[in-house]
Formats: sequence, structure tokens, C-alpha cells
Amino acid sequence: MSRKITVFFESLVIAAILLVLVQMFLEDFAVVAGWTMDIRKKLAISSFCFDLFFTIEFLTRLFYAIANKKTYYYLTRGRGWIDFFASVPLLIFNSGPMMLTLFLTGSTVMGIGGIFNVLKVIKAIRIARVLRFLRIIKIFGKIRYVESIMAQRHIATITTISITVIVFSLFGVSFVTGSTDLPGLDTSVYRQQLAIAETLAGTETNSSKFNSTIRYLDKLDNNLLIVKKGGKALYSRYKNGYYGEHFGPGDYSYFKEKNLELFFDTRVISIQNSIQNLIFFLIVLLTVTAFLVFYSPHFAITVTDPLHVMEHGFRDRNYNLEVKIPEKYAQDDVFRVAKQYNEHFLPLKDRTAVQEEDSVLNIDMQDIENIMPG
Amino acid sequence: MTMENSKAQLFIKRLMSNPALENYPVLQKEEQIIHFLKVNAKQLYPTLTSANFFPGENWNSIYHMLHQALISESNLVLFPELENVIDGKIDFAFIHFLEEKKQDITILKKTILEFLKRILLKPQTRQSFIGPYTAILKNLPDPYLDESFERKKYIHFELTKVQKLKMGREEVKNFILALLLLKPSIHLLTAVLSEEESTLQSGVVNRQFADKAFTILTNQLKTIPGRLIRTALDSSLSFPENKQVAATSRITSIFAARGINYRRLTKVDRGADSPDKSWFNIARRNYKFYGFDINMLDEFYKIAAENSW
Repeated sequence: MSRKITVFFESLVIAAILLVLVQMFLEDFAVVAGWTMDIRKKLAISSFCFDLFFTIEFLTRLFYAIANKKTYYYLTRGRGWIDFFASVPLLIFNSGPMMLTLFLTGSTVMGIGGIFNVLKVIKAIRIARVLRFLRIIKIFGKIRYVESIMAQRHIATITTISITVIVFSLFGVSFVTGSTDLPGLDTSVYRQQLAIAETLAGTETNSSKFNSTIRYLDKLDNNLLIVKKGGKALYSRYKNGYYGEHFGPGDYSYFKEKNLELFFDTRVISIQNSIQNLIFFLIVLLTVTAFLVFYSPHFAITVTDPLHVMEHGFRDRNYNLEVKIPEKYAQDDVFRVAKQYNEHFLPLKDRTAVQEEDSVLNIDMQDIENIMPG
Repeated sequence: MTMENSKAQLFIKRLMSNPALENYPVLQKEEQIIHFLKVNAKQLYPTLTSANFFPGENWNSIYHMLHQALISESNLVLFPELENVIDGKIDFAFIHFLEEKKQDITILKKTILEFLKRILLKPQTRQSFIGPYTAILKNLPDPYLDESFERKKYIHFELTKVQKLKMGREEVKNFILALLLLKPSIHLLTAVLSEEESTLQSGVVNRQFADKAFTILTNQLKTIPGRLIRTALDSSLSFPENKQVAATSRITSIFAARGINYRRLTKVDRGADSPDKSWFNIARRNYKFYGFDINMLDEFYKIAAENSW
């Protein structure tokens, strides 16, 4: 692949990484803010597109790594495992199925209580999206204080460890709580809705009692949305158009008992999940930012900068700047070496330069090529 | 001018206008080119013996021609520059504080210029003049003397109480510039005496050598006050070995050394100390080698550190 094309695609990937972080935030924010389904649908489609894009990107990189016999390197030190976790599982278990439920008629699949726990586990996979923060490490080199390859590697390593531990801990916790019947907001809401459904089913034969229960529920429990009997709607909390505008997959639950069909509002669970996602997003964002803003300069000041100054002094005969030694770090190994450099090497270099007499030559044959015919 | 000489001149002109040497003062440029010719002799020789240059000549005669051309090209810049320095940059009014005898400043300036033109024909003098001349052109002592006068500490005490200079701050600054200008006069005898007899590698001379130079110079340069010549020559003495060396000579000695390899850095590496602070700290550690006054270096170092120079 030519260099120009490579640069173009790398820039495209970096742009996509930055955009997907915004998209991730908006997708959850839209749920909390109660944005219409139309906007949420568009955000879900964009999520699918990003997952597809990153999956293709991962497969392309993997293909080139295999072709160049660098598969192990790419998947480990090349951070291919991050590329994988932040793309393929999300496409298969999250945005892909979401697309299906959005565009196929059987959208109720998301609301069926029987697969509630499975859904919770699948939702936990969404946590892997946050691993995309690690991909912005690619941009570290353009940030002040982090020009050094060593600094980039150290900061990338410590950031990767921190975020990965956070992500996999949360994923593990979500997996355990999702695959067991540990009590939570969702199980409590589901049990309450089940109790209502059983109560209504119990009064189904007694018309007046059934109607008075619905009226009673209308006032006391605003989660009951629709009650259908024999396919005919007996009760609806909102007008028909409202449901299409404000309810998406996962925002409602559906119960069926003989002739009776019930729909409940579960947006409180979606909002709760989205708030958790946003908090998680914020924690990871702040962690990455903290490493960049606080740790990078600290690393530069205490490790790479003094090393660069010393390397310059060793390499360039003309260079005689001392390493600045901050008092509070004077006992650090690097600054103890720097002290030796300042106090012994530079004075010795200065004396040697005088003894050698010849000045440092700052022009070479290449500089005069234009005045040397033939 | 022979054809060979004009070819040599053209070659040197082009070398001097090389962008790699753009920011160098003329004497540093000259030093760089001499070094370049020596280092690259093997590569240059085939080209320089081609039909376009000096066919049939050996390297020694080519080098000689190029060297001569370089000196004359440099002098075309250096001498008018020196005239400007003597006429415009340095105010010689301080002379009246050195000698009660009325001095004709115009004659003094003319004598100094003629003398410099004469001694600068010697390669050692030219090389040793690089540091002092850069210090003059870049006004290196100026801000430090201002600060020293503000602080009124060791340097001020040495100037006013020990050396008992009765002149003001501006006169002292001009005095130091004049001393820098005359510092290479120590090389008046370097061809006469052997290397061992005369100078050490650090540019320091012994008292006997300075005394001999003083005797000859005062006879040759009658219009220049003896005290000025003495102080200029003493700037090449080691202070740790000659405690009676005047404060102005010690200051001259420090800034002449500072001028060697001095380059104004537009950007200091992150994590590095400022150029002057670094230089003075290194000089503090090498003070015996160069014969500097450690207390003066300490004060200059503090000034540089506090001002981030």
C-alpha cells in the first residue's frame, strides 16, 4: 500500500476514534435526556456503522499482520487485542442485533422477559466500547511532552493497564450479576410488573373488577402502558403515536397470559443503565485525561527530558547545556546521573575541547555541493 | 591578481556565503572554513585540481592560496567592523579616569585599530580573538555588569574598593570592552617564544611572559595608557596563581572565554538549564584550568540563574 493511502486511512481511523467517543456519549445521553426515538435510531445506526468500520479495520490489520507473519506481534504488542474487543464482539452482540430489532417487525424480542438475563450479559459487552479510549493513544505523539517514543510507550502501557482493569472488572461484575438472579433495579421492576400482570389476569373474568383494577393502576403505577384483551386494546396510557416516538427496544416489557396482553414501561431501567454507562464513560475519560495531563508532563520532566538533554550533550560536541535538576527530585536515579553529567562530564568535555584545539565543524561536504562543479 | 588567486577568492567567497555559516561572526566563519579545508582535504583535492580550479598544483600550495584568499576576504569584513567597534561601539572617555595625562582619543583609536590590524595578521591572534570579539559584538558583559552594580557585592567591591576605579558603571563597561579588544595583544610574542614558554592550552600565560609583552607593547604603543595595556595583558594570567590581577582583567578573561562558541539559542531544550547559567556553572568547575576568579563566577552564575539567562 502506498504511503499516501496508508496516511489517509490512518487519519481516517483517528478521526473515527474521536467521533465514536462523541457518538458513545450521545447514545447514552439521548436515553437519559429522553430524546425522541428518531434521534436514538440514528445514533444506533451510527453505532452500527462505527462497529462495522472498526471490525473491517481490525480484519484488514489482522490480514496484513498474517501476511507479514506478524500476527502475534499485532495481537499483543501492537494492541490488536484492543482493536478486536472494541469492534467484533460489539458488532456481533450489540449493534448488529440492535439493528435487527430496529428494522425487523419483531421488535418485541427485546422485551420478552424470558431472555432478560441473556440480554443483561450481552449489554455488558457494551462496556468494551470504552476500550476505544485506548485507541486515542495513537494521538499521544502529537501531544506536548509526549514526543518521546519511550514516554509514549510508558504512558500507553499504564493507561492500557488501568482502563483494561476497569473495563474487565466491570464486565466481570456485569456478567456475574447478569447471569445470576442477584437483585437489582431491573429484577425488582420485572417482579413488580409480573405481579401486576398476575393480578390483572386473576380479575380477567370479572369485567367490573378488571376495569376498576386498571383504573386503580392508571393512578398508582405509571409503568402500565397498554392492556389488550383478545387483540383489542382496552387501555392505553398514551396516544398511539407517542409509543413509536418515545419507545425503542428495551424500553418496554411484554407479558401474555391467555387472551390478555400487557405492555409495561421499562425506560427507568434503560435510563439507569445509561446513567451508569455515562458515569463509566466519565471515569475512563478522566482517567485517560489525567494520565495525559498530569502523568505525561511528570514523566517528561523526571525521565525523558533529562535523558534527552544528556543524550544531546553526549552526541554534540558543541552542546553544553546542563540538566535542570528540580530539588524535590534530586535523589531520583535519573537526576543523580544528571548530576554526574553536569558536574563531571560537561566540565571534562569543555577542557577536552580546548585541548583538542580544533573547533567543532558545522559544515560538511554536502553543504558545499553547489559550489563544487563536477 | 593571478588567475589562481581569483579562482581561490571566488571559491572562498562562495564558501563564506554558505547558509550553514550564515549566523557566524566573521572570525568564527573563518575558523570553520580553515577547519573544513583541513578535515576534507582528501575529498576536496580531486575537485580542486580539476581544470576549473588549480590543475597540477599540490595540496599544500592549494591550501596556501585558499588560506590567503580566506584571510583577505575575512579582513574585508573584519576591519571595517573593527573600525565601527572602535569608533562607535566603545566610548573611550573612560581613559581619562585611568591617566591624568590628557589623551587624544582620536589618536588612541587610530593606534588601537592599526595595532589590531597588525597583530591580526597572525593566525594565533585571529583564533584567540574569536572569543573576545564575539563578546564585544554581542555585548556579553553588559547585563552582568549592570546587575553587579545593582547588587554591590563581590564584583562591585573588587572594582570600586580593591581596584579603586573611580569611574561610573558605563565607563567600566567601556573599559571592559576595550580590554576585550586588546586581549589578543598577548600574542605579540607567541611566535618569538616557544609554545611551552608562552601559553598553556587554556590560553593562560605566566607572569614573566605578560611582563615581557608589556615592556614591548608600551614601547610600541606610546599613545595607549600603560594601565590599559597592563590590564589587557593581565586578563591572560591565572587568577588563582596571581592574586593581584585586577578585577577588570578577571572580568575580561571570563567574558572572552564566554564568547568562544557563543551562539544565541532561540530555543533551549526542555529539561535543560539556560545557556549562561550552564556555561558559568561549567566554568566554576574548571576555574583553575582557565585561571578564573571563582567568586566572580559564583556571582555571575547567580545573576544568570536569577534572570534565566
